[in-house]
Amino acid sequence: MRPCGVFDERYETDMAIIRTWQHWTILLGTIGLLFCIPLFASYYFISLLNGIFITSVMVLGLQIIMGYCGQVSLGQAAFMAVGGFVSALLTLKLGLSFWLALPLSGLSAGLIGLIGGAPSLRVKEFYLAMSTVAIHYVIIWLITHLKITGYTQGLVAPPPAIGNFVFNTEERMYYIILMVTLLLTFYARNLIRGNVGRIFIAIRDNDLAAEVMGVNIFKYKMLAFFVSCFYAGIAGSLLAHWYQIVNVEQFTLNHALLYIGMIIVGGMGSIPGAFFGVFLLRLLDEFVLTVSPMLAHKFPQLGMTPAASLGVMCFGIVLVLFLLYEPRGIAHRWEIFKASYRIYPYRK
Amino acid sequence: MTYFLQYLLIGFLTGGLYSAFAVTVVLVYKATHVASLAHGQILAFGAVFFYWCIAVLQLPISVSFLVALALAGVLGFIIERLTMRPLIGEPLFTSFLMTFAVFMFLDGVFNLYVAGETRFIPPFLPQGNMGIGKLIIAEQRASNFVMTLLPALIVIGFFKYSKVGLRMRATAENHRLAQSAGIRVKNIFSIIWIFSSILAAVAGIGCATIMNIHYPLPYNGLKGLLVALVGGLDSIGGAILAGLLVGVIESLAAGYVDPLTEVGGTSEVVAYVLLLFILLVKPYGLFGLARIERI
Repeated sequence: MRPCGVFDERYETDMAIIRTWQHWTILLGTIGLLFCIPLFASYYFISLLNGIFITSVMVLGLQIIMGYCGQVSLGQAAFMAVGGFVSALLTLKLGLSFWLALPLSGLSAGLIGLIGGAPSLRVKEFYLAMSTVAIHYVIIWLITHLKITGYTQGLVAPPPAIGNFVFNTEERMYYIILMVTLLLTFYARNLIRGNVGRIFIAIRDNDLAAEVMGVNIFKYKMLAFFVSCFYAGIAGSLLAHWYQIVNVEQFTLNHALLYIGMIIVGGMGSIPGAFFGVFLLRLLDEFVLTVSPMLAHKFPQLGMTPAASLGVMCFGIVLVLFLLYEPRGIAHRWEIFKASYRIYPYRK
Repeated sequence: MTYFLQYLLIGFLTGGLYSAFAVTVVLVYKATHVASLAHGQILAFGAVFFYWCIAVLQLPISVSFLVALALAGVLGFIIERLTMRPLIGEPLFTSFLMTFAVFMFLDGVFNLYVAGETRFIPPFLPQGNMGIGKLIIAEQRASNFVMTLLPALIVIGFFKYSKVGLRMRATAENHRLAQSAGIRVKNIFSIIWIFSSILAAVAGIGCATIMNIHYPLPYNGLKGLLVALVGGLDSIGGAILAGLLVGVIESLAAGYVDPLTEVGGTSEVVAYVLLLFILLVKPYGLFGLARIERI
């Protein structure tokens, strides 16, 4: 929905990601603000943001495969693990710099993702979901049973560095993570508005019809898997070098399920939706973390540390409520809100 | 040869548990066309209810068994009423995600209860060993096998030969036609959820006697889904056979492949590799009905 009197007069304006000068102001202002955050925010807040941005990269990849291409992948955590371990191995064993290892880990996760996506040739929906679960278990099993990945202990990933400047604090990592997130967000948005994105959406809405229209379904499903696993690999690499340690415990099936939940809450098929979902569920996590000690104090029969299970419980409740009352997620509400202020003072 | 038969037997007995759980998944899928993740949790909760009755309230075995099954049935009914029924008419994929959401919620409740500890169900099945020729069978495993598979067979018989079962099968065939023939499809859904929850609880009690109640118990549900997929999501017989097959393959892998590898543990993934292979070769499982799609 556009406000009155705003028309697209040329093809470029029709295709533009950022349409008006107001958009430019808000966008540049937000980016500027994000870059200034370490100047005044606390250490804890910055580490929270780091976590949120890494998860956002991950969820953006999932949004491409699940929200836009309609292929459920429950194996994203394993692909993330591939990225993290490849990056740690490259920097640790081969002595490559982080800046080279980051894209390489994305690429290797993407290539593994092609194997993971192969069943999508024959099966879809629930069958595909289970086959990605199978791939998750196979990958995680390999990681914990190979010597090169350090069995269950995992590996140490050295922090990134330029010359003598080592990115070993939260503030310094924040800038790397922020830059990568912005870049990949732009790339996702760009991919979706073009030919490829349209084809993804066609496959999601009806893959048979898309095939009849002349889309090479297998090629584009594989492309979707590659791109989303590339995102997962990048996120894994960032996570590894941020924690400076990489271990399979960071990539369990629960994590993959959590990412799916973020997509549902944020809204499938929307780039901002990915961020909404991540922010909301991370806020929920923080809320539970602050509330649960009080609960544990009041009700000692809950055990000493009810935070983890209470968090999962709240997550489940939020998911149920969203699926019942707003299956299209926060992104849908956001669109309604935008439409309503654009046509103000009129109403729909 | 004796070793081979022994491994085969162990796998067969473990496979019975997988079969029992796969049958519950297939039941729900046949009637509602939703593959339910939530039953993994109902499985765990069945075990918890049983533990609660037999160890905390100290009820006799038969009573606690029945109480646990009844509670699991109620749990299944509540889940169906509160979360699945409002979604009738929505895309099936939403229902699948809903079972996943229920899984997460119940996972939280389960972990809150378990709190990182392990609870042991007191031994209520015969404990000794018996021998057939040179083979040794743990009586607990054997009686477990019977205990979990028997209710599944009863429900299958009910499904095949009773009037309500006929309605269930009609519903499985086509919701709209069943509705217009005067069958209350919504009630059938409730009944299916109650029955499948009871079966899941039996499988859960069976699982818990072997591996006790601690946090990974619900994830056995995923194994059951896997088995159901191997057998074909809409074939009950296929589910039972696939369960036995997966059990045997895991046991053989543990017996023959693990000693060859450096660190072992191949039995943990061999089932998943099997699933991937089968999905590539026969996408709808060994005995599943191939779907013909139209635009």
